[in-house]
Amino acid sequence: MDRMLLTRVSRLTQYAFLAALFVFIAMPMLVIVVFSFDANRFPTIPWGGFSLQWHRAILADPMIRDAFVNSVLVGCGTAALSTVLGFAAAYVDFRYRFRFKLGFVLLVAIPPAVPATILGMAMLAFLSRIGLFGRLETIMACHVAIATSFSMAIIRLRMNDLSRDLEPAAWNLGASPSAALLHVVIPFCKPALIASFFLSAAVSFDEFLIAWFVGGVHETLPVRILNLLQGQVNPKINAIGTVVLVISVVLVLIAQRFTGVRVGRRSSQS
Amino acid sequence: MAVSTNARAIAAPRWSFPGAARTSGAPAVMPAMLGVPVVGWQAVFFAAPLLFLVIVTFWQVKSFRLEPAFVLDNWSRILFSATFQRALGHTFIVATMTTVLAVLIAFPAAYTIAFRLPARLRDLTVAFLIVPIFSSYMLRIYAWQIVLSPEGMTNSALAWLGIGALPLLGGAFSLQVGLLTLTLPIAVLILVFALSGIDNTLIEAAENLGCRRSRVIAHIIVPAVRPAITLAATTSFLLAFGDYISPLFMTGSKPPTLSILIVDTVKSGSQWPRASVIGVAMLVVLALVVGLGQFLARGRTAKAGAH
Repeated sequence: MDRMLLTRVSRLTQYAFLAALFVFIAMPMLVIVVFSFDANRFPTIPWGGFSLQWHRAILADPMIRDAFVNSVLVGCGTAALSTVLGFAAAYVDFRYRFRFKLGFVLLVAIPPAVPATILGMAMLAFLSRIGLFGRLETIMACHVAIATSFSMAIIRLRMNDLSRDLEPAAWNLGASPSAALLHVVIPFCKPALIASFFLSAAVSFDEFLIAWFVGGVHETLPVRILNLLQGQVNPKINAIGTVVLVISVVLVLIAQRFTGVRVGRRSSQS
Repeated sequence: MAVSTNARAIAAPRWSFPGAARTSGAPAVMPAMLGVPVVGWQAVFFAAPLLFLVIVTFWQVKSFRLEPAFVLDNWSRILFSATFQRALGHTFIVATMTTVLAVLIAFPAAYTIAFRLPARLRDLTVAFLIVPIFSSYMLRIYAWQIVLSPEGMTNSALAWLGIGALPLLGGAFSLQVGLLTLTLPIAVLILVFALSGIDNTLIEAAENLGCRRSRVIAHIIVPAVRPAITLAATTSFLLAFGDYISPLFMTGSKPPTLSILIVDTVKSGSQWPRASVIGVAMLVVLALVVGLGQFLARGRTAKAGAH
């Protein structure tokens, strides 16, 4: 009996610990959303009552609108390009063995592991040297270099479930390599391609240091927020934050819906 | 078998096709067509900038202009400066603390998720953990400012209850809150995936032989996920060591971390070579830590396998 009580207490402690962790993770996002509807200028407790004034204020702010449009353009471009490049990288990794393969995979996989401060500084130094500084396309190109890593990972994971004999079978039946790729591999990878598109968009939509370094006068939304944060307290930030959070969450959830990640525990009972 | 391998070698001397041994006319142009754009893109927008960063550390600034040269002055100036050394020590200690905290908090949480939650709830928690990884870290730190600042949420709530204000923002505590906001979801996810992959029969066998749960965890579960623990730790260190946002907003850059130092050095005019030295030094430290992590993960697993 004593043992059972102990087990129960131990389980309860575990759940409580997990719940506390989830509160910690969810707290900042909740704070942003809740205070964006606060009538007070400064976010304090007690809450000042419901108001949409800050949301209306960001709609009226031309700098925020421009930044938003920039973010959407950069995000869409990044999503499309890094999905194409990520697919190519994943396919080369899946299908071929060659001499510098490890180097090839690392070249695509490493960028997110390099601190964005260093990467941003390096990109600014190099790209301004070759005359690519301060364009919207440059921000996008740099975001692609990072997002392709995520795209390759997702698409490569899907390819694990593709039978290696399927394509050779198509070649033997007379399909050209590109026809086999188009009619066998790409349809099979479609969910992963869609997931990669939305996840890359999310990566680009939230990135600020590189965009800040290489963008010049072109501000993306996170860069606008960073610049606002370095000024005075601005109640508009919560409202922009809510919009940004909603967009990222939607992008990630769509991506996750298509990856179909299942965390299964192999159990002898089931 | 030997013949077919040989035939493959003749058909495609540089490339081979796993799972396509019996196929003739295998597409040897494809890898080039698909691989070259990727390599080109990553070369121009990732590898070349980093390489250039290393080169710039040897360049000179003359009358506010960056000029090619080969001087070691930037290196000696930065490496021997007290500011850099203090920032390096501070950043290293802070990142190590985050790493230890992240693993200590993430492991029990991941354990509960993997072993105690029903399957549906597990998928939901995984979704819950993925979302923050891709949603604005900067905004989440700003939110912690609202929660922790002297006149912020926590303190106004405390005042409302008649309790005095606490100095929450601006110290080691708030910095760790910020860095754990960045690292914890990832650390938990890595461990959840690893723990979910453990074969249950092993655990059940140990339990049937009368092992207590604590022994099962120490002798079966932890060794089985050691590589994942190392990965979670290295990732946490990587993120905390390079982070710019938490030190900036949670401690007001006092004391400065290496990332802050980089941005300040870049901003303060044309001291690109010196900022580059700091960047390269950071990359060296990170490479050493990742290498050490790999060594630990491999060494231990090999030892465990030998037993």
